[in-house]
Amino acid sequence: MDLNYTPEDVAFRKSVRAWLEQNLPRNPIRTLEERRVWHRRLYEGGYLGMGWPKAYGGGDARPMEQAIVADELARASAPAPTNGLGLGIVGPTIVVHGTDAQKTRYLRKILAAEELWCQLYSEPNAGSDLAALRTRAEDKGDHFIVNGQKTWTSAGSIADWGLLLARTDPAVAKHKGITCFLINMRQPGIEVRPLKQITGSSEFSEVFMTSARVEKTDQIGRLGEGWAIAQTTLGYERGGRALARITSYASQYGRLVEVARRLKRHGRPLIDDPVIRQKLGRIWAELEVERYGALRMLTLLERGEHPGAGGSLTKLSYSEFEKRFMEMAMEILGPYGQLTEGAPEELRLEIDTAVGEQGTWAYAFLWSRAGTIYAGSSEIQKNVIGERILGLPKETRADRVGGAR
Amino acid sequence: MNFSFSEDQVLLRSSVRSFLDEHCTPAHPRAMMDDARGYDPALWNEMAKLGWLGLPVPEQHGGAGLGLVELCIAIEELGRAAYPGPYLATVVLGGLALLLGGSAAQKDKWLPAIASGEKRASAALMEDALDWDPASTAATAVTAGDGWTISGVKRFVPWAHVADIVLVPARSPEGLSLFLVDPKQAGVALRRMVGIDLCSRWSEMRIESVRVGADAVVGQPGTAGPVLESLLRRAAVCASAEMLGAARRCLDMSVEYAKVREQFGQPIGSFQAIRHRCAEMLLDVENCHSAVYYAAWALEAGAEDAAVAASICKSYVSESARRVCGDSIQVHGGIGFTWEYDLHLYMKRAKALEPLFGDAEFHRELITRHVAGAR
Repeated sequence: MDLNYTPEDVAFRKSVRAWLEQNLPRNPIRTLEERRVWHRRLYEGGYLGMGWPKAYGGGDARPMEQAIVADELARASAPAPTNGLGLGIVGPTIVVHGTDAQKTRYLRKILAAEELWCQLYSEPNAGSDLAALRTRAEDKGDHFIVNGQKTWTSAGSIADWGLLLARTDPAVAKHKGITCFLINMRQPGIEVRPLKQITGSSEFSEVFMTSARVEKTDQIGRLGEGWAIAQTTLGYERGGRALARITSYASQYGRLVEVARRLKRHGRPLIDDPVIRQKLGRIWAELEVERYGALRMLTLLERGEHPGAGGSLTKLSYSEFEKRFMEMAMEILGPYGQLTEGAPEELRLEIDTAVGEQGTWAYAFLWSRAGTIYAGSSEIQKNVIGERILGLPKETRADRVGGAR
Repeated sequence: MNFSFSEDQVLLRSSVRSFLDEHCTPAHPRAMMDDARGYDPALWNEMAKLGWLGLPVPEQHGGAGLGLVELCIAIEELGRAAYPGPYLATVVLGGLALLLGGSAAQKDKWLPAIASGEKRASAALMEDALDWDPASTAATAVTAGDGWTISGVKRFVPWAHVADIVLVPARSPEGLSLFLVDPKQAGVALRRMVGIDLCSRWSEMRIESVRVGADAVVGQPGTAGPVLESLLRRAAVCASAEMLGAARRCLDMSVEYAKVREQFGQPIGSFQAIRHRCAEMLLDVENCHSAVYYAAWALEAGAEDAAVAASICKSYVSESARRVCGDSIQVHGGIGFTWEYDLHLYMKRAKALEPLFGDAEFHRELITRHVAGAR
């Protein structure tokens, strides 16, 4: 056990920090075009697609180097690159499961933000039960025709391409009849409608596909292999952002402590109130335990081991923590916590949200409800942990046998 | 960066576990509940032969010279076995205190005796103020000749009734000092304090005008504050390791039970109500593992955040272990509430350690002090 960073990692961190000091955008990013410019600068710096093969424009970097870059970006409150799904999910899926032709065709354009991507997984009636999805892809010889509706598609409104799960065989058990595709979003059969969330913003969309076309060459993996592929892709991103996530939380925590010094109740600063101090101590303890967990995860990844179902423990842990953190922040801030505007300026209530944008506590609080639902709800993670780590028996479920239809 | 055990550490864990699986089955703590001493000297001697009692003692004093991570690995296993005996009292409260603050002569005298199993020790860190901050010490040491006369009342002194020496903080004219007091000498009165864990022994220790010599002070008089703070951190982390072991045992028993216990014609582990609870218990246990071994490493390595890591560890594990042990009883249902079933051995061990060396609330205030300053 040695929880010190190696001299190489320390030097690498320094170099990233120096690069950021030189290259960080001076002004807030307002347009997609400005974000593309920032994205490309990051890529030229060697900080995107770091773990992908060099042959396809990646950097063959170690997990620790990826984690350090993400961590330094979070520390500097750097804006996010664009194409988050392309970088986080689609690219790694193509790297692992794609053909050479697919890798050559798509990977560099993801890294250069020439083509933006979205993910077409969830459906109105296939949320936690994702394998119940009903979007059909019919084999028409040299192509597939896709019909169905997807929802919770992030970046759907700006995406050029989508990573699609669709049913190709309704006659077999539901997990076995799903295939993974790449679909061109810029075609007449695809309609994208923004989905307004409880935050009031629309980071997600609904996508309607009516006789949309997918080329045969854009099938990922074998027919019926889509479910297995989706299982692996959901875990790709967790290691890389492991430290960065905690650093973002820590910077929010720092803001919370500052506000607790400025806010007074009964004539004394909140920071002097023993009840508030208990709450602050609890959050910091939980936050640090998340960081220790991230270091354990990185240890595994550095040794080339796949965390497998252990990824479910990590995701369950941080997403539930984030909810408790934001609830406690709201308790500490009192009614000010809910304000989206109109707070007394001297309180300086604004914070950096997890995506590196200036925001409000209210927005961050609302967002914290998303983490325990997306990418497998907490309940699904607990099923995975119970079955695959603890070896508890599966439920008797009618849908594990027979056809999906 | 490597947050995993070395081969030697894995080996240590498996050798401690296999020995305890054989020699400390649940029948052993049960047998000790009614024993006057509360521990088995024969087993104690075996543990000495295996080198466990001298784990952190330097080789020159007859120990293994290992660090806090190794110590926590062994203690976690003791917790997993609900081992009844003065291990934490002797090796941590006695041994580590002497290592931190003792004079060369004191180390020469006591450390080999601790490592060999010949002597047992403890420390009296709690008074009526119920405050683990050493600054709250009210016991007094008045200069008398070249020594001192000590008076005070200490509570919850672990295993004082079998200790050969107890480390007693007291206020001397020089400031806060730490003294070696023989609990069997005249003027010291021990009264048993019986908690729910009959395998964790505590005493009230009344010290009335007890004379000690010049050689009884640990280190220099008036310098005990930092030693006691360091000791408290180490004791808090070691106690957390023991709670972690108890919690892991409760989790393991719950999972095994959920696989075989049938209700409504199915194993109860197939119901999400039970499976999800077990998953939450595992998450708690794994997070406790992170908290314990991070803090143990940080203290051993002298890391910048060692002090706050110790408080994070104790506050986090105190509450999580309690939750896991409580949940294990819930998963078992009625049988988990019976004396005959072994779950309560571990649940009570975790409970007994929860307030010792600072409960969650005490350490949360310390955490806030570290990150946001004092009030």
